[in-house]
Amino acid sequence: KVVSSEAGEGLPGVSIVVKGTATGTTSRNDGTYSLTVPNKSAVLIYSFIGFEAKEVSVGNQTTINVSLTPSTQALNEVVVTALGISKQQRNLGYVTQKIDNSALVQARETNLVSQLAGKIAGVTVVNSPSGIGGSSRVTIRGEKSLNINGNQPLFVIDGLPINNNFVGSSGRNNQDADYGNGAGFINPDDVETMTVLKGASATALYGSRAANGVVVITTKSGKGTKGIGVSVNSNLTFESVLRLPDYQNVYGQGLNGEFSFQDGSGGGLRDGVDESWGPKMDGRLLVQHDSPTDKGYRAGDTRVPGGPGVATPTPFVAHPDNIRDFFETGRIMTNNVAVTGSNDKGDFRLSFTNLAQKGYVPNTDLTRNSFNLNAGYKLTDRFTARTNVSYIRNHSDNRPNLSYGTENIMYLLNCWWGRHIDMKSMQNYWQPGLEDIQQFNFNYNYHDNPYFNLYENTNGQDVNRVIGNVTLAYQLTDWLSVQGRTQVDYQDELRTRRRAFSTQRYPYGSYRREAVKTLERNTDLLFLVDKRINESFTLSGTAGGNQRLNTYDYVDNFAPQLTVPGVYSLNNSRVPLEYRQEQNERRINSLFASGQLTYQDKLTLELTGRNDWSSTLTLPTGVVGNADNSYFYWSGTLSAVVSDWVKMPSWVSFAKVRAGYAQVGNDTEPYQFSQPYNPGTPWGTTPTFGESTRIPNLSLKPEISSSQEYGVDIRFLKNRVGLDVTYYNTISRNQIIFLPLSGTTGYSQIVQNAGRIQNSGVEVMLNLTPVRLDNVGFRWDMNVNFSRNRSKVLELANGVSTYELADRYFSVQARVNERMGDMYGYAYERVSSDPRSPYYDPTGQYVGQMVTTTDGRPISTTDLKKLGNYNPDWLAGINNSLTYKGFNLSFLFDIRKGGEVYSHTYVVGREAGQLVETLQGRETGYYDNSTDKEFKNAPEGTYYVVPGVVQTGEGQFAPNQRRISAREWHTAFTLGRRVLEGAIFDASFTKLREIKLGYSLPNSIMGKKLPFRNVTLSLVGRNLFLWTKVPHIDPETSSVAGGTVIPGSESVAIPSARNYGVNLSFNL
Amino acid sequence: DNNFEEVNTNPNVPNTVTPDLLLPNIIRAPINENMGTAWGIGNSVMQYTAKIQFVNEDRYLWGEQNGIWNVTYSTLREVQNMYNIATNSSPVQKNYQAIALIMKSWMMSLVTDAYGDAPYTEAIRGKDLMYFPKYDSQETIYNGILKDLAEANGLLAPENGAVNGDILFGGDVMKWRKMANSLRLRYLMRISNKRDVKADMQAIVGNQTATPIFTSNSDNAALRYLPTVPNQFPLYTSRVGSFDEFRLSKTLGDKLMQLNDPRLGIFARPTVASVAAGKPAYVGVPNGLDDNSALTYNGGAQNVSRVGTNYYIDGFGTPTDANLNIAKGIIMTYAELQFILAEAAQKKMITGNAKEYYEKGITASFNYYALDVPAGYLTQPDVAFADAKALELIGTQKWIALFYNGLEPWFDWRRTGFPAIKPGPSNLNQNRVPVRFTYPSSELSLNKPSIDEAVQRQGPNDINTSVWWDK
Repeated sequence: KVVSSEAGEGLPGVSIVVKGTATGTTSRNDGTYSLTVPNKSAVLIYSFIGFEAKEVSVGNQTTINVSLTPSTQALNEVVVTALGISKQQRNLGYVTQKIDNSALVQARETNLVSQLAGKIAGVTVVNSPSGIGGSSRVTIRGEKSLNINGNQPLFVIDGLPINNNFVGSSGRNNQDADYGNGAGFINPDDVETMTVLKGASATALYGSRAANGVVVITTKSGKGTKGIGVSVNSNLTFESVLRLPDYQNVYGQGLNGEFSFQDGSGGGLRDGVDESWGPKMDGRLLVQHDSPTDKGYRAGDTRVPGGPGVATPTPFVAHPDNIRDFFETGRIMTNNVAVTGSNDKGDFRLSFTNLAQKGYVPNTDLTRNSFNLNAGYKLTDRFTARTNVSYIRNHSDNRPNLSYGTENIMYLLNCWWGRHIDMKSMQNYWQPGLEDIQQFNFNYNYHDNPYFNLYENTNGQDVNRVIGNVTLAYQLTDWLSVQGRTQVDYQDELRTRRRAFSTQRYPYGSYRREAVKTLERNTDLLFLVDKRINESFTLSGTAGGNQRLNTYDYVDNFAPQLTVPGVYSLNNSRVPLEYRQEQNERRINSLFASGQLTYQDKLTLELTGRNDWSSTLTLPTGVVGNADNSYFYWSGTLSAVVSDWVKMPSWVSFAKVRAGYAQVGNDTEPYQFSQPYNPGTPWGTTPTFGESTRIPNLSLKPEISSSQEYGVDIRFLKNRVGLDVTYYNTISRNQIIFLPLSGTTGYSQIVQNAGRIQNSGVEVMLNLTPVRLDNVGFRWDMNVNFSRNRSKVLELANGVSTYELADRYFSVQARVNERMGDMYGYAYERVSSDPRSPYYDPTGQYVGQMVTTTDGRPISTTDLKKLGNYNPDWLAGINNSLTYKGFNLSFLFDIRKGGEVYSHTYVVGREAGQLVETLQGRETGYYDNSTDKEFKNAPEGTYYVVPGVVQTGEGQFAPNQRRISAREWHTAFTLGRRVLEGAIFDASFTKLREIKLGYSLPNSIMGKKLPFRNVTLSLVGRNLFLWTKVPHIDPETSSVAGGTVIPGSESVAIPSARNYGVNLSFNL
Repeated sequence: DNNFEEVNTNPNVPNTVTPDLLLPNIIRAPINENMGTAWGIGNSVMQYTAKIQFVNEDRYLWGEQNGIWNVTYSTLREVQNMYNIATNSSPVQKNYQAIALIMKSWMMSLVTDAYGDAPYTEAIRGKDLMYFPKYDSQETIYNGILKDLAEANGLLAPENGAVNGDILFGGDVMKWRKMANSLRLRYLMRISNKRDVKADMQAIVGNQTATPIFTSNSDNAALRYLPTVPNQFPLYTSRVGSFDEFRLSKTLGDKLMQLNDPRLGIFARPTVASVAAGKPAYVGVPNGLDDNSALTYNGGAQNVSRVGTNYYIDGFGTPTDANLNIAKGIIMTYAELQFILAEAAQKKMITGNAKEYYEKGITASFNYYALDVPAGYLTQPDVAFADAKALELIGTQKWIALFYNGLEPWFDWRRTGFPAIKPGPSNLNQNRVPVRFTYPSSELSLNKPSIDEAVQRQGPNDINTSVWWDK
């Protein structure tokens, strides 16, 4: 039995593990437990949140009663490390951080990965703007790889890796939807803890993919269940748009102050125009798309037989909330029921979770049903078997389109929408009698009705996923055990995209089916050693091997035009189907060993070593080269509990220092040693092929990143203050990159070992208990995470000074001696103090000012300039938790300082006259500056003068006085989207990431009759408030381009949401 | 042992192909791009069309025009592969070698005429570790083009093997030969201000057996598109609004109306308002207006002519045979050749009758559009051949005949100055007509030393720097 030293009551849920192994249990509700230990020399570790962990040697005892002392901080606990092995944090030579189940399920996210934001020092999470459980891109300790997709951590469940694929969805015009990333499908309700192993020393044992850190997920089991063993968690939250741009509400659709609807494609007065430079919305009577006609139609019912008739003009007025009205209140309902049971022989947990989400974007949804069985049985005292199987079914009728283009509703709403449009007028989106054939819209030149877009042009998704593992463990001797495990992660996904007749990009509609099957299988065999050598030394270790297999199978069929409207089947194609197929496979075999030697629980040395053999680095049959498919790497860490060696002042309760060095190797993608010919779109029945544009490299070497990590963990004032500081420095070398080439070489990339990237940074975790009043039961805890990372490019491939990582609006470039994440593009020419500049000002008077043309517009630089960097200067999370008796209030602020973001909404929203900035200079109408005469007499407020100087002669400048119209200025500020300087913003923000107010009913209230126990009711909210200087958008965004998430670029993103609701949990 | 060699062998796609599998895209990709760039830039700079919305391009705020550059170098890779596969075959597939040389020459001429100096001798050699191709002078490129075309003429013969995958000429190697020699005349004329090309021209024109050239419209190097996606005339998949941004230019419209030229009905449609009023009339829009003036010109979109029905199918229509015969992806036509010969004859570079070539050129152009030359057309004062203004007449008729023929009219105008092109009133280029595209900014990222050297030699990387043959 485990009891609390204060109250003497039994403690439920205490984790009890056999040191150095993965075996263990949890105490029951009354604190009792039972556990079979391998031998007498076994050491049990007891740990529980809020209490000091304790180690007890078993010896001859059969009953071990333990009393745990409350600690103010939960730092001294057992953590799950590599391969699923538990270790006492006290002896670890590296830093880990974890999140418990309650933090995952109460204020929850559809995508589990998003939960890492703000809670873990050194972790950056970027969510893609999809509205419903889209992808989350996580980086730990900065960007180590020059491959922008290669910076994600590895996700591991119960010791074995799963896939976290982000299968992109480009390949056909437009059709860029976000179908989520692999780890995002994991059901939070089945997760006991998520532990983040940040440094390579923590991760060396996972091999190739762990260079970017590991997120270790431990699932719940039924161990220690007593009573009926039913737990229930219900969560209901609502979502609404967090931030919309500030639109102007003075001028409507049109140009030159003119507008009148006729056919929405130029037949009326400027009615083909999709910009908002039209008349004032002052109630004047104008025919609009929804004005009634004498035949009972709407003016916009342009295709009804005989025409819609004569329309009666209606008042032209602003609908300031039309876009806000478009978004709905999203609803996410999650219900989890788990049944658990256990006895001396075995335990099980069976869980079912249903998630039903209705997006805040109309007609978007997601349902997810997760079944999980986690069971173990002792066949003999020495032989145990465990299994954990999850089946996840994920279904969406529609995930919204992203990226700049007609298929993204924000392209329309943020850029090309009319402020006069009543959103309700768009809801009936078919023209009468032309259902399935012709949409109804306010503009037929360029756009799709947003409701039509979302209700007819859907991107469906069906995912069936099974993750299952089996573990057999056998105790060979009292200090040696062996275990074999295998895990399969199989996912079968179908994506269907429908496009209806009359869609701008698909006048005859289209239908596409993508089938994606992925498999990851890991099998390992481990020998586990745990031996107390003498009174002072303990040795524990692991040695074994792993075999990994990944396969990927992708088939895409596309009917580019349909025969009969409204029938979505490949059978209904008007023209031959287009198709694409890809299969690949990779295998990695590994041998590894690790050992941990502890001296008197004060000093611990841990060494690991691993060798991988990768198929992706193996030359195919018949290919000659000297690529190397075998690579070895190792790590060593040392930790010392200084407070046990040296007498510390009384206010220091604990002090530990740690140091480590580690290497991690990495391979590449399959088939990098051949340069095949890929099929192209046939010409009728004539096939065509084209050579792959990536040049292989037959001397490829594995990547190796090596890192050093130093840290201290000090606690003061009886553990009321805990400070953990880590410094790390990682060098990645021989990176396998796809070096972009000038197109004039005929190729786009060459596979190269290149570069040295340095990441160095500091992570600070501060835990405080500023107030603790045990007598009244009040307590205030505070957690602060701080991290700062710098990624620097030390070296690139031979002869290369610049490497382009991505190109989307701006060019993301790595240059030697510069930071990773630098954004390059054209800037404004400015007056210079450099005599070599064409804009040299010898007087110095105008240096720094923007140079304008004689037409009064900015001038673009001729070379690319650094415009910013998308990585933050630092990140911080501040969590406060206030507890009073059964009440708990916690709130988390997430702070990002520095870094830049580019906003495409800002650029196009200004061009189109939608945003509030565009009121500048058009207060009384329009002036045409082609005739200077009129313009020169224009009153103030009806034109704009670009602040800058014009060059009047060599080295001579004068202030620009040239007037240009508002319409022109808002395009000229980017020179027609060439110069991005004016649309780059400081991306700093502060978010109220999470707030929870919970109340736990005392079990005594229920009495003996009612079966409910541990009833907790919480009010929860996420992302409730945002503070930022970036105009119009949430800077926490990215854009998705062909399967690549590009940070720092906002591409008419769907706005992010705030989420609030209630969570109820209880046990039976 | 672990069978990794097999695991890492790509099962999806072949590592070797035959030349006929590369040829379709070698023809299709650059032609599509040339038509696309002509629609966006070429037609408006030559004032066939004018923009009424998003008028930046028409005001010479061009930004980057990277299409020709990117597609050329990407397609040249396939050209090189086709050439190598043909060379390594047994027997050597000379016809494919020749077609490779012709396509390479045409594409490189587009690049150098549009951008000036460009990678040539070191281009497409990424596999030889040549990652930073130097820019060759335009003169070097032209020497190479002329040499390659001459060589292609010598390689092509029916007995040198069948040509499959030929979506341009259906495997008719004689037509490829005619194209090679006709292109030689075009490029010799192009550099004729820099070099005496008389002998070379005469050699080609003088021996029709050794160097055959186009003899009728049926020889035209023009890709006939398919009626359905995905191989339709590129404009057919545009949004109607995007198509309608481009209208008949006042320059072209006024000229054709002045000449009573029925080709106007092919190039443009009568305004919607005039048709509704029962009096169909054509109205062109002046180039280079500001946004407001452009869109409100003559009362707006209903009162200015759209581009002709062949070039865009409204609604759910399907293109007819007649549409497909006109809306082609044109590399070079028989009509253009006649105008080249007319100019050459007029300048005494070849023997022959300039007037005769001139009138053949006009007739060929009408016939291409399935029209007959109206009675009296050739004798009216502004058309009738006259020695004193022969070059202007030839230039003007050539300009009309080159409507939507890729970028060729722009290149030709830069050399001849005919017809006179006047920048629009709201142009943003100090009243200069652009004479060049700027290099892609990707070259600044990926091939900086080479591009810097080229800019040093050629002049500023802007739209006003003349290329070598134009200096």
